[in-house]
Amino acid sequence: MEPKEQTMAEPTENKPMDMRTMLQEAVAHIGHVLPAQAPIKDFVHHNTLHAYQHLPFPDAIKTAHQTTGNNSYLPLEQFREFYRNGRIHDSDLLAVMKDDEHLAAEETIASFEERSLQQLDVYKATKLYAFKPITNTQLNWQIQERQCLRCFQEDVSRESRRRLLAAAHTTKEAVAVNELWTACLQALGLQHYILHPEDLLDLGQEDAQRIFRELAASSGEEAVEQPMVHRLVRKESERTAQILLERLGTDLTLSGLLKKLTDVDLLDDIRPVLIRHVNAFLDHGIAAWRNPDSGEGFYAAWRCSAGLDLAWSINNIDGAEQTLHALPEDPLEVVISELQQLGLPRNRWAHYLQRLALEIPGWAGMLFWHHQHPGYHDSAPHPVNMMDFLAVFLVCERLYAQRLCHEQWRIEPRLDALQGYFRRHRSEFIVRYLLFNSRLPEYIIHLAQRLVGRTAMYKSRYAEWISLADLIWTWRHSPAADRPVGYSVYRSAWRLFRLAQHLGLSGEQISRLDKAQIDRIFSCLDKLDEDRLGYLWLQAYERNYREQLLNAIANNQDSTPRQTPAKPPLAQVVFCMDDREEGIRRHLEETDSVIQTLGAAGFFGVAINWRALDDTRVTPLCPIVVTPAHEVREQPQPAQESRKAQHDSRRGKRLWLRNYLTQELRRDFLKAWLLYTALAPLALLVLLGKVLAPRFTGLWSQRWRQHFNVSISTEAAITAQEPAPPATAENPRLGFTDSEQAEKVETFLRTIGLTSAFGPLVVMMGHGSSSQNNPHLAAYDCGACSGRHGGPNARVFAAMANRPVVRERLRERGIAIPENTWFLGAEHNTCDECITWFDHDALPQALQADFARLRKTLHQAAQKSAHERCRRLASAPKTPSLHRALRHMSDRSYDFSQVRPELGHATNAAAFIGRRSMSQGLFLDRRVFLISYDATQDPEGKILEAILLAAGPVGAGINLEYYFSTVNNERYGCGSKVTHNIAGLFGVMDGATSDLRTGLPKQMIEIHEAMRLQIVVESTTDILTKVYERQPPLQELIGNAWVHLIAKDPYSNVMHVFKPTVGFVPWQGEISRLPKVSQSVNWYSGHSGPLGFALSGGAFGDG
Amino acid sequence: MDSMLVASVWLIPVLPLLSALWIGIGYITGENRGESGEFQTTWVSLGAALMSMAILLAVDAHALLNGLPGQIIVAPWLSSEPYRLYFSFTLDTLSLLVGTTVAVTAVLTLRFSANYLHREAGFQRFFLIFNVFIAAMLLIVLAGNAVMMFVGWELAGVSSYLLIAYAFDRPTATENATRAFVTNRVGDGGFILGIFFSLLWLTSVEWPDILHGSSQLTSLQTAILAGGFFLAAFAKSAMVPFSSWLARALEGPTPSSAVFYGSLMVHGGVFLLLRLSPVIEQVVALQAVLITIGLLTAAYGFLGGLVQSDVKTALIFSTTGQIGLMTIEIGFGWSELAAWHLTAHAVWRAYQLFSAPAFMHSVVRPARPVPQWLSQQRWLYTACLQRFWLDNLSNGLFVRPTINLAREVEIFDEQVVNRMVGLPSHVGAAASIADWEERKHGYVKTPEGIVTKAQGVLGALLEWLASLLHWFEEQLVLKGSGEGLLRTLQLIGRYLLIIERLLSQPRYLWLMVLITFVVII
Repeated sequence: MEPKEQTMAEPTENKPMDMRTMLQEAVAHIGHVLPAQAPIKDFVHHNTLHAYQHLPFPDAIKTAHQTTGNNSYLPLEQFREFYRNGRIHDSDLLAVMKDDEHLAAEETIASFEERSLQQLDVYKATKLYAFKPITNTQLNWQIQERQCLRCFQEDVSRESRRRLLAAAHTTKEAVAVNELWTACLQALGLQHYILHPEDLLDLGQEDAQRIFRELAASSGEEAVEQPMVHRLVRKESERTAQILLERLGTDLTLSGLLKKLTDVDLLDDIRPVLIRHVNAFLDHGIAAWRNPDSGEGFYAAWRCSAGLDLAWSINNIDGAEQTLHALPEDPLEVVISELQQLGLPRNRWAHYLQRLALEIPGWAGMLFWHHQHPGYHDSAPHPVNMMDFLAVFLVCERLYAQRLCHEQWRIEPRLDALQGYFRRHRSEFIVRYLLFNSRLPEYIIHLAQRLVGRTAMYKSRYAEWISLADLIWTWRHSPAADRPVGYSVYRSAWRLFRLAQHLGLSGEQISRLDKAQIDRIFSCLDKLDEDRLGYLWLQAYERNYREQLLNAIANNQDSTPRQTPAKPPLAQVVFCMDDREEGIRRHLEETDSVIQTLGAAGFFGVAINWRALDDTRVTPLCPIVVTPAHEVREQPQPAQESRKAQHDSRRGKRLWLRNYLTQELRRDFLKAWLLYTALAPLALLVLLGKVLAPRFTGLWSQRWRQHFNVSISTEAAITAQEPAPPATAENPRLGFTDSEQAEKVETFLRTIGLTSAFGPLVVMMGHGSSSQNNPHLAAYDCGACSGRHGGPNARVFAAMANRPVVRERLRERGIAIPENTWFLGAEHNTCDECITWFDHDALPQALQADFARLRKTLHQAAQKSAHERCRRLASAPKTPSLHRALRHMSDRSYDFSQVRPELGHATNAAAFIGRRSMSQGLFLDRRVFLISYDATQDPEGKILEAILLAAGPVGAGINLEYYFSTVNNERYGCGSKVTHNIAGLFGVMDGATSDLRTGLPKQMIEIHEAMRLQIVVESTTDILTKVYERQPPLQELIGNAWVHLIAKDPYSNVMHVFKPTVGFVPWQGEISRLPKVSQSVNWYSGHSGPLGFALSGGAFGDG
Repeated sequence: MDSMLVASVWLIPVLPLLSALWIGIGYITGENRGESGEFQTTWVSLGAALMSMAILLAVDAHALLNGLPGQIIVAPWLSSEPYRLYFSFTLDTLSLLVGTTVAVTAVLTLRFSANYLHREAGFQRFFLIFNVFIAAMLLIVLAGNAVMMFVGWELAGVSSYLLIAYAFDRPTATENATRAFVTNRVGDGGFILGIFFSLLWLTSVEWPDILHGSSQLTSLQTAILAGGFFLAAFAKSAMVPFSSWLARALEGPTPSSAVFYGSLMVHGGVFLLLRLSPVIEQVVALQAVLITIGLLTAAYGFLGGLVQSDVKTALIFSTTGQIGLMTIEIGFGWSELAAWHLTAHAVWRAYQLFSAPAFMHSVVRPARPVPQWLSQQRWLYTACLQRFWLDNLSNGLFVRPTINLAREVEIFDEQVVNRMVGLPSHVGAAASIADWEERKHGYVKTPEGIVTKAQGVLGALLEWLASLLHWFEEQLVLKGSGEGLLRTLQLIGRYLLIIERLLSQPRYLWLMVLITFVVII
C-alpha cells in the first residue's frame, strides 16, 4: 500500500502541462472509435465509420477492424452463396481480380505442358472455397470417417475432378487422390502418419528421441547444467510475456490483459454497476430520483455514491474506502494518477483511454455525444464530460484488478509488478498464456485448470508449474500438434492438398513444382486474408448489380424515347428522392400517364425550424449538416383563433392523462394501486382491442382523439414581418421575406429542372412513417429532414409558391408559372400509404375536378405500391387484392405487436441524378434514390454541384448505415428488437444490463443487400470532373470509394464509370435486351426475392 | 351437461401441454421448423389456449348461474393408506377469477408474440416453452391440492429459466437465468417442506383439508406448515429478501418478460398466500410476518423504482411494490381485495410491458422528481441504485462460498481420494521431453524424501512407510536433530494456519452451521 501513496502525491507537485493537454486532446478524439449515434428519437442515418471517411474504403475497414475488432464484410460463406445463386458471376470475379494491381493476377506460377497455372487460378479457388488449417483430430476424422485420402473433397467441381484424373493418367479416384496427398507432403518436405488417440496423450520413446535430435540440431546448443527444454521454455515465456505486456495500452486494457492470464473478466463485475451509474446520470426522464451530486458532473456524483457503497466490502475489495477517500477532486488528476499507478509508459496513455472506452462502446459513445452536445433539449441540466467517465472506469478497474492480482499472485496491478512476477515465474506465465489463448488437448487443459484454480493460499509447489510447462512444450512439438513455424502438415499440406484438387492438379504435377513455385502458391493463399477476400467479393457483388443497372439504363434509352408531351401534364408531383418512393412514382405514371413525377431531397430546399401548433419547441427540418436560419410556425387560421384555447386545454388534459398513465402509474405506487383496482376492466378492454383488432382500435382512438382535441384549421406563417432582421443560424428569424421566398422557390425549381410546362397542379409530396411500439421510429422517417416527417416543408414550399408576389418575382427571373397553376403540399406515409393534404381548402374552384382526379389516381397508386410491398414481407398475404394490400399495410402501422411495420430503406443500392426519362418505365424494385436534375439547363454544373453536395451525403449516409448494420449486426447494428429495452429514453439495450446498442435492428436489415451506392449522374464527364475537383467533400466520398460514381452522357447512350485511381473509364458492358411488361405488377407478382430489371409501361406488350 | 363440463376441467391445463408436445414433436421431426412452420405453431398454440379459455369461461358461467363447483376430484392418483392423492381441482372464486385472467392473458400474449417473434430463430422454442408455462400457470391456479400445484410451480420455474436464457449466446442472459432458477429452488424447498408437514400432520394435501384441518393443529404446527409455503411464495413472487432475481430476469423477449415477471408468474407466490389465507388468519404471527415482508417488499419496490433508468427494470420494480401491497392486504386479512388487486395488476402490467418499446414516444415529460428531503439522502440513493445490495449479499454469502467449496473439494479429491483409490494422477505420468532429456543426461534429481512411487492404498501405505523410515534416518542420522525438528514444527504451524484461515471463511462457517443442523435434525 505504501508505494501507492507516493505515486499519488507525486503528480500534483510537478506535473508538466503538456500531459494534461495531451490527455484532453486524447479525450476529444475518442469519438473517432465510438458510435456517434444521437439519442434515438433523433436518429439520423449516417456512415457508421464516418470517423474513417478520410481513408479509402478498404483501408478504413481494415483500420476499424484493427482498432475495434469489428469485421465489416459479409461472411465469405454468404458471398459464396450469392455466387452459387447466380448473384455473382465468374466474369465479375475475374474482372475485379484483374483490376486489383496488387494481386498481379495474370502472372504465371508454373506451366505444365498441358496447361499453365496463373496466380489468378489460385485466387479464384481461394475465393470460392475455404482453405482452412485443420487440427490433428479433424484430419484423423477426415481420413478415417470421410475417406479424404481416397475420395475427392465434396466441394470439388466435376470439371476439376476430370482435369485431375486426366493429369494423373488414371481413372481411379483413390489412386489419384492418394498420390496427390503424398506429393503435397513431399513437396513441403513433411511426413505424416495417423496417430492413434493414445499417441496424443503420451510421447513414445522414438518420438521423443527424434524431436530431441531435431532440437539439438536446430539450436546447436549442447546441454549444460540445465535441461535444454527448460531453457527453451523459459526463453519462449519471456518473449511471449514481453509481447503481451507491450500490448497493454495498445490493444489491451488491464482487464483484457488479466483475462488473458486468469480467464477472469473484471468487466463482468464492473460493467453492470458502471452502466447503472452512467444510465442514471444521463437519463432523460425515466428515473424520478437522480444522484444528488449530479450537478457536479459524473465523476463527483459517482465518487460520492461509491464512498457510501457497501458493495466494496461485501465483494471483499480491501482498501476501497481509503482509496475512494483519497481520490483527487479533478477527474483529470485521477486519470493521470491512475495511469501512473498502472505504470504505463506515457506514449500509450491516449491509446489506453481509447481502449477503455471501447470496452463499452455504446454507453461511452452516448456519453461522448452528450459531452459534445451540451444543452440538448431532452438531456438533464448537468454537465457531461468524457474525462469523468474515464476516471471512474479507471478507478473501478484498478480496484477490482487489485483484488484479482492479490488473490492470484499477491502483487499490485502494475505493469512493472506483473513484469517482475512473470520474470520470476516463467513457467507459470507460459502455462497460463497457452491455456487461455491457444488450443490445448483436454488432458493438459485439465491439469492446467487445476493449477490455475488454486488460489495463492495453496500454492506451495511451484515444481508443478515447471513440469506442466515442459509437458505443454513437448505436446506442442510432438506430431500431435502443429509445428509452430515453417510448413506443417495441418496448416500447409492440407491446404495445398485441397487447393490442388480444386485446381485439378495431379500429384505428379505438384511434385514437378520447385520450392520457389510452392512458396509463391502459399504467398498467393496468404495474400488473400479475410479482409481482402471480403473486399474482392464485395466488388464482384457490386459489379454484378452495376452491369445490370447500366444495361437497364441503356435499354431504356434505346426503347422509344418518350417525347416531351406537347400539352402540359395534369399534375407534377414532386416526391422525396427516397428509394421507397420509386414504387409509388412508377405506379402513378403507369396508372395515369398525364401525371409527371419528379424527385428531390425531401425538405424541398426550405430549411426551417418548424413549430407545429401544439409544439413547445422548434424542430429543425432539413439535412443534418444544415442549421436553419428561419423559423416557421403553424398557427390557427384567423377565424379559428377562438377555438385555440379550448383545443389547448383539452389537449393538455389528454396529455396529462397519458403521461400520468405512463409515468405516475409506475412511479407512485399508492395512486397506482387505486387506479389499477378501479380501472382494470378498462385496461383489459384496451388490451383486447390492441391485440385482437389493432387497426380498428387505432383508427377509432385516432378519431376520438381528434374529436376530443377540437381540431383547428391552421396555416403556416411563412412570411416575415417587415422590417425583417437578418436571418442567421444563431438567431433564426420568424418567416421568410418575399425575396427569400422567391429565391427559395426559384432555386428549387431550377434544381429539379421544372421551369416550364407547369401543369394545373404541382404537388410537393413530403413523407414520414407511422408505427406503434417502435423505438427506431425516426429511422423510418425522411432522411433529408433529419429523421422527421417532411410534410411541413412541402406545405411551406407550396404556400410560398402560391403567393402572387413570389410568382411575380419568379416571372422577372424567367420562370413563368401560369396563373391557373396551384401548388399543394402533401405528405405520403410510407408505412400505411396514406396521403395527407395540407391547405387544400384554399384550392381554386376551377381546379377541384383536376384535384379529385389526381387524388383518385394517387389512391390507386398507393394501393399498388402497398401491393408491391407485400411481395417482400414474409407475413403479408401472398396474392392480395389491391384493397386488401392497402389494408394490410394499414394493419401493420397500427399493430403494436408488429416489429416490421415497414422495411425502411432495405435493399437501397443506387441513386439516379438526372431527368426522369432516364428511369421512367424501368422497374427498379424500390432500390434507387431518384433525384430530378436537367443537365441541359445547367451548362456550368453549378446546380449539379449543389445536388451532389446535399444528396450525396444523405444517400451515402443511409446506404452505409444499412451496409454496416447488415454486414455486422452484432457490433454495428443493434440485434433483434425482441429483447430490446429502452434505456434513459435515448437508446436501447438488450435485456437489463447490456451495452447500449446502436445502428439498425435485425428486423430492418434482414433483406438488405449490403453494397455501396452506385450514383449515376446524367452529365458529361468534363462537368463532373470539374465539380469533383472543386469539392473536397465529394473527393472524400467518391475518391475514397465510399460510393461509386457513373456518368451518363445527357445526349447519348455513353456511360463512364469512375475509378478513384484512374478517373472516368468508358463502360463497355454487353447490352442485353430487357424483358418488357405492360405493368410492373406483371413482372413482380409471384416473386418474393430480389428481382432483376424490366421495362414496364403502357407502350409495351407483355413479354 | 353440467357435470360433464365440470369433469372436463382437467382439460384446461392439459390442452396447452398437448400443444407444447405437438410443437416439440413437430420440431424434432422438422415438421414445423423455420418460417413456414410459424403458422402452424401459432395456431396450434392459440387453438389450445383458446379452448382452455373457453372451458374456463363456461365454468365461470356455470358458477355464476348454479353456484361454485368447489372441490372436484377427477381421478385418484396415488393411494397408500392413510395417504391419498387425487387429481383434483379447487374451483372457487379465487381460482376462477385468477384462472380466467391467466387464460385471457395467455391468449393475448400468444397473439402478440406471433407477430413479435416472426422470423426469430427461436420462434418454435419460444412457443413450446410458453405453452408449458400456460399449462403450469393454470395448474398452479386451479390445482386442488398442494402436490398438483407444486407440479405447476416447477414447470413454471423451468419455463421461466428457459425463456430468460432465450438468447443463450449471451452470457449475461444465461447467468441471470441460472440465478433466477437457483433462487427459486430455495422456495421449492419450502414448498416441499409444506407438503411434507401437511402429510405428516393432516395426512392429506387437498386444499380443503389443509385449510380446514389446520384448526386441529397447534399454532406452532400451523406456523411451521405455513412457513414452508411462505418461503416458496416469497421466492416465487420475488419478495424481500429474494427480490434481486426479478430485475435480472428481463433478458428474454418482451412478451415473456411481460407475462412472467410483470403479469402472471410473479403473482404465483401471492396466489399461494391467497390460497392459504384461511390458515393465515388463524395465527397472528403469520399475519405479522406477511405484513412485515409486505412492507419491506413494497419499500424495496417503491424506493428502488425511483432510481431505475431503463423501462423494463423500472416497471419490474413497480411490480414488486404492488406485490408488497398485496402481501400486506393478505396480512390484514383482506383477501378479496388482494385477489382483485392481483387480477387488476396482472392486466395492467401486461399492457404496460407490451407497450414498453413505445415508452419514449408516450411520455410527455420526465418523471416527477422526488421531494427535496428525500433527494438529498445520499446513502439511501446509493442503496436504491445498488438494489439494497441483495445481489451482492447473495453472491458473497452463497455463490462465492459454494464455488470455493467446490474447488476445495476438487483439490481434496485430486490429492487425497484419487491417490487413495489409486486413480492415475497426470502429473509426472505423461512424459515430457524434459523428462526424457533429464533421464538421458542424468539430471535426475529425485525430490527430497520421495523414495519410490506407488499407487493405490496399499502402495501408498508402503510408500509412506518407506518415506517415513527415510525421513527418520535423514532427520536423526544425517542432519542435526535440532534443525530438523524445528522445520517440522514450522511445517505443522503452517498447516494449522491454513486451517484456521479456512475456518474463518464464511463458506466453512456455513458448512458448520449446516452440519449442525443436519446433526440436530
